[in-house]
Amino acid sequence: METNSKQKRSSNIDISRMRKAFSFKPLAIGVASIMLSACSGGREEAVVFKNADECKNALPDLAQKCETAYEGALAEAAKTAPKYNTRNDCEYEFGTNQCQTYNNNGSSIFMPLMAGYMIGNLLSPRPYYQPMFTSYSRYSPHRNNWMSADGRDFGDSRKSKLSVKPSAFDKKPAVTRTIKRGGFGSSVRAKSSWGSRSSGKGWGG
Amino acid sequence: MLRLPIGARKNWQQMAHDYGFHFHTMHGQAYWDETAYYQFTLEQVERDLESPTEEIHQMCLQVVDKVAKNEELLKKFAIPEGYWGAIADSWQAQEPSLYSRLDFVYDGRTPAKLLENNADTPTSLYESGFWQWLWLENNVDNNKLSKRADQFNSLQEKLVNRFKVIADYYGINYLHFACCKDTDEDRGTVQYLQDCAKEAGLDVYFVYIEDIGLSEGGELTDLKNQIISHCFKLYPWEFMQREEFGPHAVKSNTGWIEPIWKTILSNKALLPMLWREFEGHPNLLPAFFENDMASMQAQSDIKKWVKKPLYSREGANIDILENGKMSLSSDGPYGEEGFIYQAHTPLPKFGDSYTLIGSWLVDGEAAGISVREDESPITQDLSRYMPHIIL
Repeated sequence: METNSKQKRSSNIDISRMRKAFSFKPLAIGVASIMLSACSGGREEAVVFKNADECKNALPDLAQKCETAYEGALAEAAKTAPKYNTRNDCEYEFGTNQCQTYNNNGSSIFMPLMAGYMIGNLLSPRPYYQPMFTSYSRYSPHRNNWMSADGRDFGDSRKSKLSVKPSAFDKKPAVTRTIKRGGFGSSVRAKSSWGSRSSGKGWGG
Repeated sequence: MLRLPIGARKNWQQMAHDYGFHFHTMHGQAYWDETAYYQFTLEQVERDLESPTEEIHQMCLQVVDKVAKNEELLKKFAIPEGYWGAIADSWQAQEPSLYSRLDFVYDGRTPAKLLENNADTPTSLYESGFWQWLWLENNVDNNKLSKRADQFNSLQEKLVNRFKVIADYYGINYLHFACCKDTDEDRGTVQYLQDCAKEAGLDVYFVYIEDIGLSEGGELTDLKNQIISHCFKLYPWEFMQREEFGPHAVKSNTGWIEPIWKTILSNKALLPMLWREFEGHPNLLPAFFENDMASMQAQSDIKKWVKKPLYSREGANIDILENGKMSLSSDGPYGEEGFIYQAHTPLPKFGDSYTLIGSWLVDGEAAGISVREDESPITQDLSRYMPHIIL
């Protein structure tokens, strides 16, 4: 039998990261701002260029890297940008003339134009990159902001220098066209008609 | 093993709000109950729960190995034929599993007896891995519990580490998560797993099971039409396999957590199979398929049997058969796929409550326990969750 020297419970749960809601009183604002600055650790500098030329003009020594990253970002954009069945739906989100056709298994759908590409770790042999989009639509909450293919907002698109978490360069899911929904869940609908089980409890065990 | 009263933390409901624990009260009744706690000795935890949990898991894997390549057994498990190939492939490839919960009858004195294995969609995870952990921290800080008090609960640490292993196995940096609509408990459980995955460095996306789509290319998609390449689903395989998109769950090559081979473990047919392979094991109860009455009658010292549907959850559709006649039963929507019989063993009574131990596994490692109480000897879905300590 082991002795009590070995703890049987998790030793390093970061409680602050488990919080879902904050209820700061006015006096606590100072604490809040300290916490915020403490949270910004682990960020890195990234630059967003509108196209390869803008990158090359800014960094003539790194012209080849500018080009390679741009091509990579374009390919990534085609794969991961949001897709729409009609040009109208796309322009509603991204603005007039901000969309292009995309050939998806032989059918034409629509995706926003890549508005720029974010580069990080520029001095390394293989810099990271990420396609960036922006919206000119007054219906979009992301209007004039940078955003990634999966919809994460990176703030004002007039800024070209960003401070981002390393995960900002993570690969995003590919986006395609959905032809049908609702093919899962029928068992739950069938079994929910039984008894008083209506809300709250789930189907786990 | 003792049940001891303790005062509830004054601010616990505010804390529950702050930490996003939204299902502590369900159907107007308390689910999380901190007016008492259970106290175990380290020996009870290690000898009676931790070791048997890991050993039974290995025994279960041996059963999976046997069933996955045996058509007759797959039929007995009522697994639709169209999925036999996928189950065999997934098992052959050793697709990584995340977690399970073994439910035990345990009274602190005699060997724990396995009631069932929730290997596919176990819940009560958040309240086990985080919420009861916080309860202990707070009560030690408030000097209401001894500084030496510990808890059998390394769930969160192990889940985070396991997500790292799974991410490496599939070479992914993001993962989808899915559960049903209209259930705070399932959504809360999945949110907790998303939090653990984030701690492991993964980006996470969520979609409700009912919203999952099918693409032109045969992939599964979320509401943003993003392809679901890998997905944690808090939704039973036996449901998916009987639904319209079931075949696409396999054809799409989606990497599922839990993997499809767990269909074999989350099935009550596991119980008679375990007894067949490991008859007499101290942590097993005699169990038989419904067409095996002769073997049941041969167990002449057992007067009381529990009849369980192959597929059921949370005590639904369970009958107790005493001297050949039904003495107690619970309603429910399950049972069309067949039944098994398991020797009845009473839940221990502490005060007015019947107590059930859930013992967690993260992959093959025992990772903690949860204690649930009910007023009825069949644990239903309105049971109360009680925290525990080791002292």
